[in-house]
Amino acid sequence: MKRQVPLVLCFVFGIVMILTQFSPHSFSQGVYKEVISWALIIGPFALVLATVTLIQTHTARIRRRTEHWQYSLVVFAGLIIMVLIGIPFGPQNTIFEWLYNNVQLPMDATTFSLLAFFIVSAAYRAFRARTFEASLLLITALIVMMGNVPVGDLIWNTVLFWTPWEDGTSWWRQWILDNPNLSARRGIILGVSLGVISQSIRIILGIERSYLGGGD
Amino acid sequence: MDFWSLIGIWVAAFLTLSIYSVLYRDNPFYRFAEHLFVGVSVGYGIVLSIYQGFIPLAWKPFAAAITGESMSGFIKLIPICIGLLFFARLSPRHTWLIRYPIAILIGFGSGIAIPKVLRANIFEQTHGTIAPFAEIAAGTLSGWDIFEAVLIVVGVICTLTYFFFAVEHRGPVKWLSKVGIAFLMIGFGSAFGNTVMGRVALLIQRVDFLLNDWIGAILTIF
Amino acid sequence: MANIDRRIVFILVALAVIIPMLLSINLPVSVSEPTQKFYDYVEDLPAGSTIMIAFDYGPSSLAELNPMAKALLKQCFDRDIRVIGITLVVDAPTLASALIQEVAAEKGAVEGEDYVFLGFRPGAVQVILGMGTDIASVYDTDYNGTAIGEIPMMQNITNYDQIDLLVDFTSSDTVESWIVYANDEYNQKIAAGVTGVIIAQMFPYLQTGQLVGLLSGILGAAEYENLIGAPAKGMQWINVESFVHLLIVVLVVIGNISYFIHRTREE
Repeated sequence: MKRQVPLVLCFVFGIVMILTQFSPHSFSQGVYKEVISWALIIGPFALVLATVTLIQTHTARIRRRTEHWQYSLVVFAGLIIMVLIGIPFGPQNTIFEWLYNNVQLPMDATTFSLLAFFIVSAAYRAFRARTFEASLLLITALIVMMGNVPVGDLIWNTVLFWTPWEDGTSWWRQWILDNPNLSARRGIILGVSLGVISQSIRIILGIERSYLGGGD
Repeated sequence: MDFWSLIGIWVAAFLTLSIYSVLYRDNPFYRFAEHLFVGVSVGYGIVLSIYQGFIPLAWKPFAAAITGESMSGFIKLIPICIGLLFFARLSPRHTWLIRYPIAILIGFGSGIAIPKVLRANIFEQTHGTIAPFAEIAAGTLSGWDIFEAVLIVVGVICTLTYFFFAVEHRGPVKWLSKVGIAFLMIGFGSAFGNTVMGRVALLIQRVDFLLNDWIGAILTIF
Repeated sequence: MANIDRRIVFILVALAVIIPMLLSINLPVSVSEPTQKFYDYVEDLPAGSTIMIAFDYGPSSLAELNPMAKALLKQCFDRDIRVIGITLVVDAPTLASALIQEVAAEKGAVEGEDYVFLGFRPGAVQVILGMGTDIASVYDTDYNGTAIGEIPMMQNITNYDQIDLLVDFTSSDTVESWIVYANDEYNQKIAAGVTGVIIAQMFPYLQTGQLVGLLSGILGAAEYENLIGAPAKGMQWINVESFVHLLIVVLVVIGNISYFIHRTREE
């Protein structure tokens, strides 16, 4: 009941979705569409998991008075304010949108923009031409970086004007992306896709069961 | 500019600077903003999930079935009940019940992916690698284009060889694999160069906000 | 040299952004082939065509994607191309809705006739596949709650058959989902505008034609603004970006010189 039924459900839904894609019969197509609509309905409930986990984590921090537990109260304050305004009045309520635009949006954008500082600092400290492979990575990164900005072509056209390329920095950037980068990425796509397919088959056949988690 | 817009700019500027304060060192302002961000984001997510997920996809068909508006809504009771099993996560004794909806979603996702990933990512990508050679036969490609087509084939084969662990990397396989690493390094170098552009753009946007919107608003007062 | 306080590097980065922004530098931007293909595809669509734009990004990526989305919306409204906006990302609806309304107000586009924003639905794969059968089965109303049957521009639109181009502005793997589930299954033409992190992995799809065009981060936005003749934030920011990239190149060169000097001394 606890493990066998989920395995059977996974097998049935997996096989149905494979077979219905190969059959143009109206019954088959009807089943295909119905299962998609079922998945659409079940999907939103999965969000409960993330919310419950977050609430449990911060409740535990407050209960155990771990270091900086007071900030977990800030998490709840933010969450409760958004829910108390958003649920009765809807996401297009003026106050809800104001909170999104002036609290959530700037913090989200700023948090990710911190990475600009860290990526520059890391490049300065760790980007070294230690080996042939590392040199290749470094040179490519520098060409792409300079090809991405207009000053790259300005420098090329001023210093390397005698070469056959006009706007050479952006030309080489594009060539790298279109050729060696493309082939490496394609190798990765092919490898990952073969992995996805074999993993999907293992899941449907019940060989891969890690999604069931631990316990009986 | 109205009063609430002005207050909004000041709040956003305060929170922006609070987060940037971590660049000096960890401090209470940063921790406050970081935790507020988590709470507000989850709160926003809950509201949007209810209004844009539960209500249109689960509640409305269910309500239509109850009111007799659409009898087909009754069949939707099955996925709704399955979805409700996610709430079993709240009870340690019944938490195993969430395996049912997870198994269905995973089975659905796996079944739907197999033929489509095969076509879109394996057949199409393989075709894209070989297709230029048809043009070589037709004589429509220049010498440079042929070089590029060959380079791509070599790159794809060598990259795949690097990931192929079924045989030991010795002899010719080792050399193919080494060439594969070179292609991968160029690929990762490209990704790094582009990632730098992306991250810096995020910073520029925030500085633009602080200089033009916030300080700009202060200057208009004077 | 490599052991200097990293806060000094942070200050240099901040100055490399602040000073050029105050100076308003304006260098010319050339247009790359993927951007040109994107622009040409939209430009070749006849008036009255319909584009679906998926705003699959949240506030963390708006710096890179909002400028290009804005430029595309301007081009669409200028050319009488109808726009259907959707999103597969939960934290996007408020910013996407505001962006469409801002450009629509500027261009005099009418909601329900020239554009509609349908909002968010959870479950990317299910949403993409569901709209292939019937958009109304996924979106029974628009973001404002208006029934889809009452929206004038949606009267003759049932599924992807009536969508001439799907544009995914994204910071994640949603573009691959669109390719696998909409392009492959329904032969939907797809173009993408992506953040810097995922630009490099888009090129195999561009070569096969699974993507008809690609806008690459803030550079793509600047190129597109250049093409539509409406310079805005993209052009301004890519110029500022130049100085930070220069700083990084200088720092990496200094770091490598000090590394080689150190290594030579050790040997």
